[in-house]
Amino acid sequence: MEDKLKYLSPEWRDEAYRRLSAELDPEKMNYATTSLVSVYHNCPDGKERYFFVSCADGAIGDVSVGEGEPPEAEFSISGDYDVFAKMSRGELGAQAALMSGKLKLKGNMVKALKLSSLADRLNRVIATIPTQF
Amino acid sequence: MGKKTCCTENDPFFIDYPGRIKSIQEAMANEGFDVYLGSRLRTISWTTDAFCPWRSYIVIPREGLPTLFTFVIDASRVADDTWLPEDNVRGYAPLGGQDQITQISDFIKDELKIRKGRLAYETGLSNYTPEGNLSQYEYEMFTAALPGLEFVNAHIIVDRLSLIKDEGTINRFREASRYTDVGHEAVREALVNGGWKGKTETEIAGIAECAMRKAGSEWAWSFTAGNEIASGYRTGYAGGACTPATRRELQPGDSLMVDLHAMYRLGLGDYAYNYLIAPVTDRMRWHARNYIDVVQMCIDNYREGITPLGLASMVMEMAEERGFTDYVVPGFEHGIGMMGDEWRIGLNTGPIKYWTDPNHVYQAGEMLICAVQYACPEEKIGFRYECPILIRENCCELMAEFPLDVEEID
Repeated sequence: MEDKLKYLSPEWRDEAYRRLSAELDPEKMNYATTSLVSVYHNCPDGKERYFFVSCADGAIGDVSVGEGEPPEAEFSISGDYDVFAKMSRGELGAQAALMSGKLKLKGNMVKALKLSSLADRLNRVIATIPTQF
Repeated sequence: MGKKTCCTENDPFFIDYPGRIKSIQEAMANEGFDVYLGSRLRTISWTTDAFCPWRSYIVIPREGLPTLFTFVIDASRVADDTWLPEDNVRGYAPLGGQDQITQISDFIKDELKIRKGRLAYETGLSNYTPEGNLSQYEYEMFTAALPGLEFVNAHIIVDRLSLIKDEGTINRFREASRYTDVGHEAVREALVNGGWKGKTETEIAGIAECAMRKAGSEWAWSFTAGNEIASGYRTGYAGGACTPATRRELQPGDSLMVDLHAMYRLGLGDYAYNYLIAPVTDRMRWHARNYIDVVQMCIDNYREGITPLGLASMVMEMAEERGFTDYVVPGFEHGIGMMGDEWRIGLNTGPIKYWTDPNHVYQAGEMLICAVQYACPEEKIGFRYECPILIRENCCELMAEFPLDVEEID
């Protein structure tokens, strides 16, 4: 059985970067330049964490995780850790989470719509990481 | 092609939108405002150059470009039409963090970095359904989301700046009036020589609309049901000046009121013309003559310095002398500006708040709709005149070229 990586740990981040870089080339990312930060409230240890991804001309750039104040990003999605965990386990869709207000999106909605397919691609790759929540 | 690519200073329809924003910002600075939250349709049109049919808001900082917020389903189209850069048009949606209250308050706090100070907003009273004043709910939600800001009603800033029309705006009205001329020609052609027989009011509205669309009209903009057509007894509603077309079929002996609306880049055409369908009696002709004389008196007297009350007194004196005061609505104008600005004349300075100030003194460069409503309900007859006019120093310019007449057809 494949070892599971702890969600949002440095090892999990490294694996996310490896898989995103390998599987999403600039063409698949529509040569987009953007950045997205997911902000996790109420993590199991009580802390706040973030997961940041940027790409430039479609190439995956920074992929980082951390605690506390998240870096500036074009788009920010924030919510409880449990909500993100449910989404990663396939128990909750991103759209349902946003429509119910469980997740809060900040950033230009029109641009977000244009980039939503890219976000889906990112999420699909990240969902393949064996993860321990 | 979006408007961004076709509107330069050499264009007769050019409007200096960045200049308008700067003038708002200067007023904001003078009055100590940190940010302006516009929500009235007239403000949105006047600042964005885009038709925004969905609830929209414009946030204007003290410096830099404004940002428009509209319903997400229309935001891309609005972004294509407006002069504003794409990133300055945001779409709100029923998603976490993307509803209009959260998005706009977050924008003011996080992007404009304004957490304390004075916010100008727009509220008041209107008889016009889509005025767009901030609702009570919106006010409560915004003030809760922006607790460090003092909210001050400041629609006067835009009202003051939009009072005198610039050349580009005037030319847009001229073009929209050309469309109503085209519409009236098409209607006349369809009605004469017995063509009126079997036609309904809605059909006449459609004939006009088809011709005006072919000419380039974007919309029969009026919220009173587009092109207003009334026939027979419907022309004679007491005090009536709102006649959405019905399925009523024209009849011999009818009066017929054809009030057409067209739009060119938020400039508005509005011209009403009248017919009498044979057989026409002398009494009908007496009413028609009265109506024409009232309109002519208005046209002859609209100029800088006159007031709505002054003109009304003059006209009603003539009506009194000739015995038809009962048939004349004693007001001969309504306000007009870019789409969404279609009721009150001038500023909010009258004795009855948010209605036309009867003592407003017209200045050269103001525009209004010269509007006359003549109705005799007991004889089931009435006439309407509407035409956008530009106030000049010693006269007024009629935007439409269609003649003033009550035309008899058989």
